[in-house]
Amino acid sequence: MKIRGKIAFRDLETGIWVLEGDDGRTYELAGGDRKIKRDGQRVEVDGEVKKDAVSIGMVGPLFHVKSYRFE
Amino acid sequence: MIPFFSRRALPVLSASLLLLVACASEPDSARKVRSEGLSDPSAEVEPGAIVVDFKDGTTKAEFDALEKDWGVDLEFNSIEGAEDGITIARGVGDVDAVLAKIRQNPNVEAAEPLEVYRSSYVPNDPGYTKQWNLQMIDMPKAWDKSRGKGVVVAVLDTGIAYEDYDDFKQVPDLKGIKFVKGYDFVNKDEHANDDHGHGTHVAGTIAQATNNSEGVAGVAFEATLMPVKVLDHFGRGTSANIADAIRFAADNGAKVINMSLGGGGYSAVMESAVAYARKKGVTVVCAAGNGGRAKVEYPAAYEGAVAVSAVGPDGTLAPYSSYGKELDIAAPGGDKRQGEAGGIIQNTIDQRDVSKSVYASYQGTSMATPHVAAVAALLYAAGAKTPDEVEKALYDGAKPVGDKAWSEQYGHGVLNAQRSLEALGKTRGALDWNPLLAGLGMLAMVLLSLSKRIRPGYLNVLFNPGFLFSLIVSTVGFFIAHYFAGWFSGGAADVLDATSLPIPDLDRIIFGRGKLANPLFYSALIPVVASLLAVRFKGLRPVVGGLAIGFAGFLGYGAWAHAPALAWMPFKFLAMPWLVLNTLICLFVARALLRKESV
Repeated sequence: MKIRGKIAFRDLETGIWVLEGDDGRTYELAGGDRKIKRDGQRVEVDGEVKKDAVSIGMVGPLFHVKSYRFE
Repeated sequence: MIPFFSRRALPVLSASLLLLVACASEPDSARKVRSEGLSDPSAEVEPGAIVVDFKDGTTKAEFDALEKDWGVDLEFNSIEGAEDGITIARGVGDVDAVLAKIRQNPNVEAAEPLEVYRSSYVPNDPGYTKQWNLQMIDMPKAWDKSRGKGVVVAVLDTGIAYEDYDDFKQVPDLKGIKFVKGYDFVNKDEHANDDHGHGTHVAGTIAQATNNSEGVAGVAFEATLMPVKVLDHFGRGTSANIADAIRFAADNGAKVINMSLGGGGYSAVMESAVAYARKKGVTVVCAAGNGGRAKVEYPAAYEGAVAVSAVGPDGTLAPYSSYGKELDIAAPGGDKRQGEAGGIIQNTIDQRDVSKSVYASYQGTSMATPHVAAVAALLYAAGAKTPDEVEKALYDGAKPVGDKAWSEQYGHGVLNAQRSLEALGKTRGALDWNPLLAGLGMLAMVLLSLSKRIRPGYLNVLFNPGFLFSLIVSTVGFFIAHYFAGWFSGGAADVLDATSLPIPDLDRIIFGRGKLANPLFYSALIPVVASLLAVRFKGLRPVVGGLAIGFAGFLGYGAWAHAPALAWMPFKFLAMPWLVLNTLICLFVARALLRKESV
């Protein structure tokens, strides 16, 4: 599935990277490569939501990135 | 009618009866619990110092003459010395021998080692002054009562930097803390070391080495930690691993499970694991989540788990904290909008180098959760036996925010260790005999309000077995059961424990303790319904009369003393008029039932 939105760093817990989706939801980012970590960057990501994933972030569903494109 | 008790003797008799009950009102179990607790850790003997109390008016010249023989240098303790004869001496070699000698002297009233009292325990960890979170939950006072000694707390997280193994190093401020064997469910081995930094921080809040002149303090620093790794080096894991880990911890002696994690959908497997742990007597504490929205994450949202939200240094909900209808309690989790000082500081590993120790300031509901888990450990160490008891004490001791007894943001309020330990002392320490006393007082009132012709004798009423039984059961419960509860364990103990509750609290067998009082049970409903039966069956009248008097005593005392928080009431203050109204209804019912038939 593809989602558009904005990459953001949240100073929560030990620090987490999220995708603020244009769908109004916040996803905790996983996968991709380290260059996706660009605070405030508009992006379109392709990947999937991991339903059984549990994390320290607890900000929303975990989105596992397969590929992404900065906008 | 017992003929030799005249009516005039009635007030005297009832007063002496009240006295009798009052004298019995401290059962042995209460005293035992108190003496089993820490004696008084705030008092310490100062080495080589003694205090000698001479007869009042003893002069300095008089005791100076004795000093040489005793080998001590006594001085008046204060300007009161000349009056009360209290002197002290320091630098005494063999304190016991010297004291024995001094006590021989007829001018000495008492002689003992000098005790130094502190206001409360203040640890010497250099970073302690930055830990606003520990002040917020009243830790200094709570440490005088419990430090969690021997209670095993399992930390299900990214692991703990608890041993030197491979390239892992124990962080310095966990040195001296006790650990039991845990498990690494990610890498499938017995070395649950931390390769991330989150778990060590969480463990530090629970049991950072304290009063060791290093770093910062922890809440339950005499507790035993069980490192259980369920999250990988990115801080992520699966619900299946976590479910396994919950059962592992419960089967291996943990009394508390801390889960500063969440997310994913509902998982029946994890929910049943939580229920399993709870059944084994484990208190399961979980983070509500960091979504900043009205949705409590799993596992916190499961029935058997304590869901924790986070507050900042100002005591209000942190902006990131999730909340919702499953929320139970709030605890300090930090708010760094004003800077790093607003976070929770503990010792952990550098995320970039697992062998490097750092003191990090983090914020999150993950940081709030271990405060609650650690206080749960304090409660177990202070005598709590079941998760129900622990939860009740946690919630009774929590400081409500605003005028609501419960809210979606704070649950029952902000965690307070000191008040929860006190609340536990009340539930475990002693039966509350006051409702029975109030009931006896009300019985006298009701009887005196009846005209002579239809007024039965006070003792005639009281010694009717049916009346007495229902009076006692509705005010203090079938209290004998309380004394035997310790002989049993598991289900049998639960049943006995339940029967020891007064009738208005019996709904808690069904709905669980630690919940708010049920206003239908805390009302005249039961006596009124019972009185309808007594209209038909006259033999029931004394029994129902006792029930009504008992309820009147219980509710009346409740209104007067503490006005308990009732469920479904929009405002806490409504509890008061509700209880008063129902007390009056009970008295009315009792008056109708206890009058002598005017045949």
